Order: sequence, then C-alpha cells, then structure tokens
Amino acid sequence: MNTTDTNLVETTEVSFNVESINEIIENIHRYLNKHKEYINSLNVFPVPDGDTGLNMVLTIQGAIVQMKNNGRTEKNSGEYLKDFAEQMLLNSRGCSGVILSLFAQGFTQITANKDFSKENIYRAIENGYRNAYEGTENPREGTMLTIMRALKEKYAQLMEKEDNPLVIIQQTIPYLKEVLSQTPEMLPVLKKAGVVDSGGAGFIILLEGINKELSQLVVNGISLPSLLRIGRTTRKLLKKRLSELRKSPFAPLILNIDFSRIQNSRLVEALQNARNLLGNIHLNHNNGKTINREKLIDDLQEIDASWNPEIKNKYCTEFVLESDAITSKDQLREKIAHYGDSLIIINSNNKYKVHIHTNKPNDLFDDVSKFGSLLFTKVDDMKKQHRNFLSEDVVEYERDKSVFCIVSGKGFAEILKNLGADDILCYGKNKPSVNQLVKGLNNLKAKNIIVASDDSDILMALKYAVSLCKSNVFIVESDNPISLVSMLMNISKDYDINTIFDEAMNSINNIPFCGIARSTRNVTTENGAPVNKNDYFTVYKKKIILANKNLQELVFDTVQQLSAEGSLITIYKGEDVKKENSLIEQLRNKFSDRDFEEYYGGQYKYSYYITFE
Amino acid sequence: MSKKIFIIVGDNLGLSREQIDYEALEIVKFPVFVDGVEYRQSEEHNARWLISKYEKEKVVAKSSTLIHNEIAEIIERNHANYDVFIHVVMSSGLSAASFRVAENVRKQFENIVPVINVHTRQAINGVGSVLLGIIDLVKTQPDLSVEELSAACQQIVENTFSWFVFPDLNYLYKGGRIGKAQSLMGSVLHIIPVVGMMGNEKDGLVLPMGKGRTYRQVNDLIIEQIHAKMQEKSVTRIKRAITLSGYGDKNQDAYAALLEKIKMLPVDEIVEGQGGLVDAVYCGPGAYGVSILL
Repeated sequence: MNTTDTNLVETTEVSFNVESINEIIENIHRYLNKHKEYINSLNVFPVPDGDTGLNMVLTIQGAIVQMKNNGRTEKNSGEYLKDFAEQMLLNSRGCSGVILSLFAQGFTQITANKDFSKENIYRAIENGYRNAYEGTENPREGTMLTIMRALKEKYAQLMEKEDNPLVIIQQTIPYLKEVLSQTPEMLPVLKKAGVVDSGGAGFIILLEGINKELSQLVVNGISLPSLLRIGRTTRKLLKKRLSELRKSPFAPLILNIDFSRIQNSRLVEALQNARNLLGNIHLNHNNGKTINREKLIDDLQEIDASWNPEIKNKYCTEFVLESDAITSKDQLREKIAHYGDSLIIINSNNKYKVHIHTNKPNDLFDDVSKFGSLLFTKVDDMKKQHRNFLSEDVVEYERDKSVFCIVSGKGFAEILKNLGADDILCYGKNKPSVNQLVKGLNNLKAKNIIVASDDSDILMALKYAVSLCKSNVFIVESDNPISLVSMLMNISKDYDINTIFDEAMNSINNIPFCGIARSTRNVTTENGAPVNKNDYFTVYKKKIILANKNLQELVFDTVQQLSAEGSLITIYKGEDVKKENSLIEQLRNKFSDRDFEEYYGGQYKYSYYITFE
Repeated sequence: MSKKIFIIVGDNLGLSREQIDYEALEIVKFPVFVDGVEYRQSEEHNARWLISKYEKEKVVAKSSTLIHNEIAEIIERNHANYDVFIHVVMSSGLSAASFRVAENVRKQFENIVPVINVHTRQAINGVGSVLLGIIDLVKTQPDLSVEELSAACQQIVENTFSWFVFPDLNYLYKGGRIGKAQSLMGSVLHIIPVVGMMGNEKDGLVLPMGKGRTYRQVNDLIIEQIHAKMQEKSVTRIKRAITLSGYGDKNQDAYAALLEKIKMLPVDEIVEGQGGLVDAVYCGPGAYGVSILL
C-alpha cells in the first residue's frame, strides 16, 4: 500500500480528495485485473463458465467509468465511496460481481459518515457482510460470503491489539487464505474439482489491493484444459492391462510431471498417486504403499465430471428494472423465482438489479417489463462460455458485445468501420474460409457478437464458423453491403444484444437500392428483353429491370426509373469503375432536382450500387 | 401558505423573455467570446450574427460560465420580497462549472433565503421546457414546501426530453460538449446526426440518438423516438413542445417539416423557440430541434 492508502484510514476523518481515492480504486482495479485469469481458472461454482475474475473486474470498471462521467455532487469521501458502491451495484456482472457490490454497498453505507476509525470500519465490514448475505438467494458456505464473514471475525480479534484499520485488514489476510484453503471442505463441488472458491480468492486479492502478497499465485501453471486432458489420459492408462501399461509411451510422461506447475490440489494428489502406482509397475516392485487403482480411476473421473456438469439453466441473465409497481425484493422474487436458479436481487430506491440463470431470458424480460422499465439487460450463454473455458485456445473476453461485418470492398469496409462496426473482414475477390471467419469472430474477444455479411454465399460457412466460435453469435442474414450500411445507421450499441439484433434485423431493408453489373451469360429482363453476355444490367429487388451495352446510359436510365424512391441518390463505385470521375457531375446536371453523393465501395461483383433515400 | 417565488435562469434557454409569462424572473446572460472579444446576447449580437460570422469569417467562439456575482446580486436585490429562489441551471454534464457556481451562490445565501438549484440535465430549449414546467407548477401549487417544490421540480426534469439535429458536430466537439455523441463523428459517409438530452439520464450528457442520410429521415427518427418515450412513460399527451431554430438560414425547410410533424402529435401547447448567442457557439449553422415535457 502506498502512503495515500494509509492516510485513508489513519485519521478518523478524511479530507475529500477524489483524485487520491480514484487512484487507490484504480490501483486495486489494475491489481485485480492482473489476477483475473487466476480467479477465472478457479471458477467452478455455481457454473464453471470461467468468468468470476472478469465479472469482478468489470463490476469495478463500470463503476469507475460511471463516476468519471457523472457530475460530482458528493460532499465528502464517505459519500463518494457510497456513490461508487451504488454504481458497482448498477454495473455489477455475474454472481461474484453482485455479491462484491452488495458488500461494498453495505460497507459504504456505514462509512458514508466519513468516519474511518477502526471501530467504524468494523461496523462497515459487518454491515457489508450482512448486506451481501441477505441479498444472496440461497447463500452457501465455502463462497465469497464465507471469506467476508472470516474477515469480520478476524478483524474483531485483531482490533484489540492494533489501531490502524488498514494494518488490521492486512493482518487478516493470512487467516483469510487459510479459510480459503478450507472452502473445498465446505462446498463439495470445489473439492471434486480440486480448487478453492474463485469469488473468495478474488475477494482476498481485492483486499490485498496493490500489495503483492498474492503475486506468487501467478506462476507459469499448466492450463486447466491441459490438466484435464492429462487427467483423462492418466485415467485411460490406468484402465489398461499391466503388460500394456508397461509399454505405454504416456507412462514416463506422467512419471515426470512437474507438480509445481499444477494449481489444482485434488489433481496433484491423484496424479501423485498415479505416479507412485505407475512407478511401482514400471520398476516392478511395491514400495509398501498400496494404491487402489479402481479408486484412483474413479477420482480422476470425478474431477473431470466436476468441470463438466450438466448446465440446467443455460443463460446467465441480468437486468435492471425500474419499477414503482414492485415494492420489495421479495415481491419481485416471488414473481420470477420460477424462471431458474442462482437468483440474486438487489435494490436501490425503485431500481432492482437482478441476476438469474434461466433458459427463458426473453420470456423473463417480457414478464418483468409489465411492472416497469427495463434499463439494462444482459444474457450470456453459459454453455458456450463453459466450452470456451475448457478449450485449449481460451478466448479472454474483453468486450460484452461487438458488431462484425464481412464485406468484399475496401471502400465499404472503411464506411462500415466509421459507422460503428467493431471489426471488418474484407475478403476482396475470394470468399472467406470457415477458418478465417472463426478467427475473425474470436479476435473480437466479445461475449456477444452481431455478424452480417454482404453475400448470401457466405452464409453457410458463417453458420458453421459460428458453431465453432466461442462467443454468442447472432447472424444477421443480409446479402448486400447496403443492408450493412442500413443496419449500422440504425443500431445503437448502448442497448442489450437482443435489442440490437432485433434492430439490426428490422433495419436491413430500410434503404431502397439497385446494383449494376455485367452479365456473364445471355439472360432476359423481367419484361423479357434480352440481356446479352457482357451487357450491363440493373438488379432491383432481386429482379433484372434494365439492361444496356453502355454502362453510363444504363446508370442514367436506372436513376430515371427509380429516382422517385428518394431525394438523395448515392452511388457506390465498384473496383472496376474506381477511376471513373465524370459520372456524378453528369447525373447532377441531368437530374438537378435530386441530391447526389458518390463514394468508393470497392465491391467486385457490381460496378455500382445506387441507393435512393 | 402561498410562497413568493423568484426564478433565475441563464439565457441558453431557447426562449425570449416575452415568451415567458412570469413576472418574478430574471434571465442571466452568459458571456460569449468571439475571437477573444466578449459579447452578451443583444439585438445586434444574437445567434444569427454569430452563425453568419462562422460561415463567412471562420471565427473562433466560446462561452464562459455565468458570473457568480451577477446571480448573487439578483438574490441580494430581491430576497427581502421573496420566500424562495429557484435557479434553473443547464446540465452539469455540459458545464460542471455552471452548476458549481449555482451551488456556491446557494451556499452563500443558505442562512438568508432558500435557493433551489434545479439541475435540468438539459440545454437550450430543454432548459426552457423545464423552466416553463416549473412556472406552471408554482402558479398552480404556490403553497408547496421547499422540499416538496424541490421534489416536484425534479419530476419535471425527469419528464423533459430534447432532440437536436446538429448538421456539424464539430462545433459541439470544439466546445467540449460532445459527450457520448462523439460516436457519431468522423463518418466517411455523410450522415446527419441526431443527439439528445434525456431527463431520465442522471448524467445529463449529450447522447447519440441516431443518424440519418436525409433530413426527412432524421425528422422521422425524432418523431418515432417521441412516440417511444410517450409509451415508455405511459402518457397519451405531451404537455408542451418547444421547437428550436434560428441558427442561420440553412435547413429552414427541414425545421419547418419537423414543426409540421410535431403539430400532428397530441401536444397541448407548441412554443416556437429561438436559438440564442451562447447556444449558437455549440450548435453551428443549420441546427434545429425540439424539446418536450411529458
């Protein structure tokens, strides 16, 4: 801790210095962020979706951003921290984020009086714990709540000998780690998986803040998926006959495992036993210790199963409901509890922040909308997250949602990027492979992705890529770049992913347009007029409406025929007419009652796309 | 018991003094600096004058916060005759300093007379909307306690919503008022941005509300969003709409088209507001908009 931190608690009344408080909070946030992957790797309860650390980080991050944006009206540090905790609540993510926010809310309710004496900090911890415990539906031992209670108890003991509350908190940490190490005994699912509670570990890391006490936890460990594979290989090996076992190339590998790189206590024990057993077999002697092979196989099976549980309620769903019709958390709980499990409701005035695991998020949103306004919604597919978590190439999510566009032309790529697409795959002449699409989707590092392409031929590959991708992906089934422009003109990324997707789907046909291309064979227009190979033709609403040997004449005819569709006519030039510069002026002269704009689209199939708005 | 209430407001409210039917009110003028020279709103120096300078001379303009002493002087001069002062303040999300000045004045008089600073979360005709809403309130319920009055003003703030069409967001950007609407800037494709200030958004920032390629599209977008807001708030009528124009001759047709569409809405009163010198600094040529009180 730096001096500023200590100053925060050394005096009973703190002078209000937002900058130094923010610095402390940001340091802690950075520290937590540094350790988030470690916390994620422990996440097995209630669902092993590997995001406890991320959720805690995002919860604090959301509050930091909100506090920076808000006009400050607080009068002192106590009030400032209370507001910060309220923002944490409103920005909380996942179970861990909600419980942490509840603790912060309870804590800062007490310190709002700007009394940072050791006695008041004790009351704050006590209230924080009570608030978190009471706010959690079906509170369980062996979770972050246990660590919070341990903090309260140990703090009470230590405050008899020490006056500085910060020092007291620092002195509680070894004890809290001890309690953390006991969490597998309290929560069987942790024991089966061979880990301590991730939320509890995250809470201790938070308490340590910028202190480096837990830095030894960040070691060059073997990844969880690799560990589970080692466990499975070992299990298969142990099932073999003795003669086969002796010949197996995997046996020496297991005999040489570096256990210091394994952060899973139960797996370490099982693999150590396996090593002993295999060693005995290999060396053809018994060192006196009898190891039950069947039990070892069962243990390894159980560890594996604990990381792959049946996820009954697929969607981790969160929302903020503003309602005057609902008057208490219990009333809301009664109305929505049947939708799933892991329900947590917290409230501040007439706002209710809800976390629940359910299979019917949309029904739930429809239902609660009857009681007020939904200010925020979030739906994560935990099955996808779980699959990502246990895969070798884990995607570390950095964003909640992203928009991804796949287009042929460089000009359109630039236009779409400027209109708000988070990333573009510009494929030029050759359609993208499934592999390229998966890579593009995973590169976004977003939990939820809206994806749209400019060609219906890409759709099949895209659907396959989506099945391989680690994120929740919503495909907007578009087949031209104008739809993508229209989509980006109409969506707002401030909304939740389902709303954005609905908006995207509703907007792709908003802009009337036609395409002008060169015919590769003899065809006819919708009226039966011939279109010879190499003639230019105009496609409007998927029908060939006009054709001409001369491209410029065809553009004029097309504008003439369709200009009633809009007063602003925009020409997007394809790659083959990139250098053409006189058309726009001629159009302006010929159709003086219309506005014209011209952009480089860079598409390959069509010489021009023309829109009418 | 009826209270005698005096109202103070800055001149970035989209209304002229004649359009405000309330005697005990004073409009404080924001200082505006054009190429370093200070001006205040007047017959000669108004929005059209500045817009014309923007278009012809490429001048640099900025505004300053209201002057503490000018507000304090109004209260000093009138406090013997009034029970409460209400200062209708522009959004702190746009100018934190303005709200700080208002708060300092309130503190200065806290043992002398109650001053309610209403954080409008609005600018221009949005401030005007909140102001006229408050005037309706004090006329119809003059016997509210200070606490009740303060809470009722807050209700008005939360029911006021504004949309602005800013053809060039650079004026807002240069003035440091762009907020989240920055996402609408820098498009290769020429777009017409619609920004808004929503009374139910605590931050009082300029928000991106959408974009269009034609003025018909952005006008439709505004009307659509007004309908959505009415539905969200479960109201069937708009109490008042204050339109805004007057930033030069550009887009008069688009403004007129929006006004026609607003007349088609279920609205009790339409006030045609006018831009002022200080807001012209940030709006730029051709800006227009509407604010509604639900």
